[in-house]
Amino acid sequence: MNNQDIVKASLKKRYAKEKRFKLYGILSITISFLFLAFLLADITGKSLPAFTQTYVKLEIDFSHKNLKLKEKTSYSEEELFKASYRTLASKALYQLFPDIKSRKDRKTLRGMVSVGAQYELRDMVIDNPNLIGTKKEILVLADDDLDSFHKGLIDRSIPEELRRVKDKQVIWIDKLEADGRIVTRFNLRFLTSGDSREPELAGIWGALKGSFYTMMITLLLSFPIAVAAAVYLEEFAPKNNKFIDLIEVNINNLAAVPSIVFGILGLAIYINLFGMPRSAPLVAGMVLSLMTLPTIIIATRASIKSVPQSIREAALGVGASKMQVIFHHVLPLAMPGILTGSIIGMAQALGESAPLLMIGMVAFVADIPQGFMDPATALPVQIFIWSDSPERAFIALTSAAIIVLLIFLFLMNFLAIILRKKFETRW
Amino acid sequence: MNTQDHISQAYNDELEEVRSKVLTMGGLVEDHFQGATKALLKGDTELASDIAKYDYKVNALEVEIDDDCTSLIARRQPTAGDLRNVFAVIKIVTDLERIGDESEKIASFVTELSVDTKSMTIYNSLKSMIKTAREILSAALDCYARLDAKQALEVAKLDEDLDSNFNDLKRTLITYLIEDVKNIEDFIRVMWCARSIERVGDHAKNICQYVVYVAHGNDIRHITDQKD
Amino acid sequence: MSNQDELELLQELGETVGTPKLKEKVRMSCNHVDVFYNETAQAIFDVSVDLGKNQILAMIGPSGCGKSTLLRCLNRMNDTIDGCIVNGEITLDDEDIYNKTIDPVLLRANVGMVFQKPNPFPKSIYDNVAYGPRLHGLTKNASELDDLVEESLTKAGLWKETKDRLNKPGTGLSGGQQQRLCIARTIAVKPEVILMDEPTSALDPIATATIEELMYDLKSFYTIAVVTHSMQQAARISDRTAYFHLGRLVEVNNTDDVFTNPEHKLTENYITGRFG
Repeated sequence: MNNQDIVKASLKKRYAKEKRFKLYGILSITISFLFLAFLLADITGKSLPAFTQTYVKLEIDFSHKNLKLKEKTSYSEEELFKASYRTLASKALYQLFPDIKSRKDRKTLRGMVSVGAQYELRDMVIDNPNLIGTKKEILVLADDDLDSFHKGLIDRSIPEELRRVKDKQVIWIDKLEADGRIVTRFNLRFLTSGDSREPELAGIWGALKGSFYTMMITLLLSFPIAVAAAVYLEEFAPKNNKFIDLIEVNINNLAAVPSIVFGILGLAIYINLFGMPRSAPLVAGMVLSLMTLPTIIIATRASIKSVPQSIREAALGVGASKMQVIFHHVLPLAMPGILTGSIIGMAQALGESAPLLMIGMVAFVADIPQGFMDPATALPVQIFIWSDSPERAFIALTSAAIIVLLIFLFLMNFLAIILRKKFETRW
Repeated sequence: MNTQDHISQAYNDELEEVRSKVLTMGGLVEDHFQGATKALLKGDTELASDIAKYDYKVNALEVEIDDDCTSLIARRQPTAGDLRNVFAVIKIVTDLERIGDESEKIASFVTELSVDTKSMTIYNSLKSMIKTAREILSAALDCYARLDAKQALEVAKLDEDLDSNFNDLKRTLITYLIEDVKNIEDFIRVMWCARSIERVGDHAKNICQYVVYVAHGNDIRHITDQKD
Repeated sequence: MSNQDELELLQELGETVGTPKLKEKVRMSCNHVDVFYNETAQAIFDVSVDLGKNQILAMIGPSGCGKSTLLRCLNRMNDTIDGCIVNGEITLDDEDIYNKTIDPVLLRANVGMVFQKPNPFPKSIYDNVAYGPRLHGLTKNASELDDLVEESLTKAGLWKETKDRLNKPGTGLSGGQQQRLCIARTIAVKPEVILMDEPTSALDPIATATIEELMYDLKSFYTIAVVTHSMQQAARISDRTAYFHLGRLVEVNNTDDVFTNPEHKLTENYITGRFG
C-alpha cells in the first residue's frame, strides 16, 4: 500500500474517535445543564411561599380604653409609643369568636396572630394618630403556623399530635377563610427587615447590608494591595532571587489554604490581639480580603505577563519612565484579566461562610447594621442559620435567601463583564 | 519604457543625471565630428588641431558616466527597463568615445595633408559620405534622446548607403592611385579618413541597436550578420 | 572562505577599516565600547564609530553580529535588560550618556527609536502621536498640541491619509501606515537622533519603499542610524555604512565605496554573498 492508502485507512478510525469525543462533550454539558435546571427549579419552587405573607383582616378598635390613653386632642410621640397595643388584635379576635371562653382556647386563638402585630399597629398609630378613637378593618400579620397552613405547607391529613396546627385551629381558620378574612399579600418584609425568631417577621435586609459592607471592605483592601503586589513581582522584583521565589511560592500556596484557617487568623489576631468588635463587617472584610489576595495576585500577574513587550519598549522609546509605562500602558491593557480575577475572588468571598463563623457572624443579629463596626451577619451565614431553624416557614425563607444570593452573584458577574468590555481594546 | 517616477525621488534624479550626461557627451561628439569633417573638406589645419586637443573632454565624460552607472547598479539594483537602460548607457558611451577617437584621427590626418581635398577627384564622393555620416550620427543621438525604436531601423538603412559609398570611394581612389603615384601618401591619408567616417557610421548604428534593446528588450545586434 | 579563515581575518583586524570617526559635524560618538550580556558573554568588542549630523548610518552584518545591541546602547534601552554591562564611552553632542547624572528617560526623549514590528499604542491615532508631547509637557494648550500632531503626521507622510480619522484606533491602519505612525510618534517628541531597528523587515515592498523615501526626507531634520538585514536597503538609503562581524566593527565608509569597492575582505564576502 502506498502512503495515501495507509492514511485513508487510519482516517476512518480518527474521525470515529473525534465523533465519540464530541458526543461525550455534548453529553456531559447536557447532563450539567439538566442538573443545573433541576437545582434552580427546586430552589425556586421551595422559595415561592416566602414571597407572599398571610394576613388576617380584623376590625381593630382603637379606642382610648384599649390603648390605655387619656382622651386628648394631641399626643406626644412618647405617649403614643408607650400606649398599649398588645391586646388590640386579641380583642378583635374574641369578638369574631364569641363562644370561645376557656383560657387555653383563648390563648390558642391569640396565637393565630403574630407577636409582631402589636408593633405594626403601634407604628400605624404613630404615623396616623387620627386612628385613635376609630374602628377600622386592618390587615394584621398572621402567625407563621397560620401562614404555613394557609399556604398548604402543613398537611391536614396527618394526625393531630404530629401537627403544629391543632384541629380546633383548623376549624377557626376555615371559618375565617369562609368569611374572607384571610388575605395574602406580597412579602415586602422579606426584603426590608432583619433577622427574627419568628419567620413571618424575618427578613434578609440585615444580611444583605452586612454582606454589602463586607464586600466593600474586601474590595477596598484586596484590590489595590493585590494589584500593587503583582506589579512589583512582575516588573520590579529582581529575577532569580531566592527570597522573591519564596514569596511567589507562598502566594501561590495561599490560594489553596482552607478558608477556615483565615477565620482562625482573624479571630486570633484581629479580635483577640487588636480587640476589634466581633462580627463586624470591618473584621469580616479584613479576613476575606486575605483570602482573596492570592486569587487576584495570580490573575493580575498572568494578565501583566500577557501584555506584549513591544508596547513597553515603544513607551520607553518615547521617553516614559518605568512607572509611567506601567500605569499608562501595562495596567490598562491588563485590566480585563485583572477584573476577571477580581470578580472570581469577590464571588468566592461572597459565598464564604466558614471564616465568618469563626469571627462570630453566626450570632443572632436582629438589628440592621448601620456602619462597618456594627455587629452584622452575611448572606451565606444567614442561610446557614435559617436552614437550622425548625419552623416550616424557614424552609421557604432559606430557599428565597439562596435565590437572593444567586442574584447578587449574577449581578456582580454582569458588572464585571460590562467593566471588562469597557476596558478591552485590540492590539 | 516606463516613464512613471520611482517612489524614491533620489533614484529618479540619478537616472536623469546619467541621461543628461550621455546627451551632453553625444553633443560634444557630434560637434567634434562636425568640426573634423569640416576641416577635412576645407583643409583647415587650425580647426583640425583644435579638435584634436579637446578629445580629452569626451574621454573624461566616458569615465564619469561609467562610474555613475557602476554606482547605480551597486546601490539601486535596477531591474527590467531600468537595468536595460543602464546596461545600454554603458555600451553607448563606449561607442560615443570611439566616435570621438575617430574624429581625433581625422583631425590629425588633416594636419598632415599636403594637398587640399578640394583638388582631389574624390572630393564629391567624400563630401556626400560626410553628409550621410553626419545625418546618421545626428539621427542616432536623436534616437537615444527620444528612445525611438522605429528611427533606429531607418538609421540602419542609411548606414548601408554609407558603406556602399565607402566602397565606391575606395575603388575610385585605387584607380587614381594607379595613375598618379606621386601623391600616394595623401591618398592613403584620405583613405584612412574615409575609413574613419565609415566607422563612425557603424558606431552610430550600434547606438541605435542599443536603443531598440532598451525600448523592447530585443538584442538586435549581429542578427543581420547571421541572415547573411 | 571557511569559518576558520574568517575568524583568523577577524582576529587580525586591529582597528576598524575605513573612516569610522568623522572629523566634523558629529552628532553621536562611540569610543571603545564593549557590551557584555552577563559576566562572560561579550557581545560588542571595542567599537568606535561616529554618527554624522543629518546623515544616515546603516549598520549591516550577519545575524548575531551585535548591530542591534549597539543600536540599543545609543538610547540606553539595554538598561532594561538585567545583567547587561556597557563599558566605554558613548556621547551625544559630546556629553557621555552613561554618566550617572544623565536620566535615561530624558535621553530617550532626545534619541528616539523605531522598532522592527510596528507597535502603535492601542489608542487613537491622535493619542498615539500626542502621548509623548503630553508626557513631557511640550505644548502649552490644546491647539498647540493639535498643530504638533499635524506637523508630525505630515513629516511622516501620513497626514493626508489620517486627517479625517484621527480618533480611530492606531491599530486599525495597515502595516506600512502603522510604522509611519510609529515614526510620527517618535518625531513628535522632537528628538535629535532617530534610531531604527530593522524598520521595514515586517513590511511589503511598496510600504518599504515608502518608508525608505520617508527616511531620506527625514535626514534633513534628524540624524539617523539604521540597523538592517537587507544590504540592498543599506545601499539604497544610507550615506555611510558600517559592517559588523561577530561583535567587531570591521569597516565603516561612504556607502558608495563600501558597495563598489570595500576595503576589507570580510566586508566584500558579506556583500557579495560569499560565506564559508
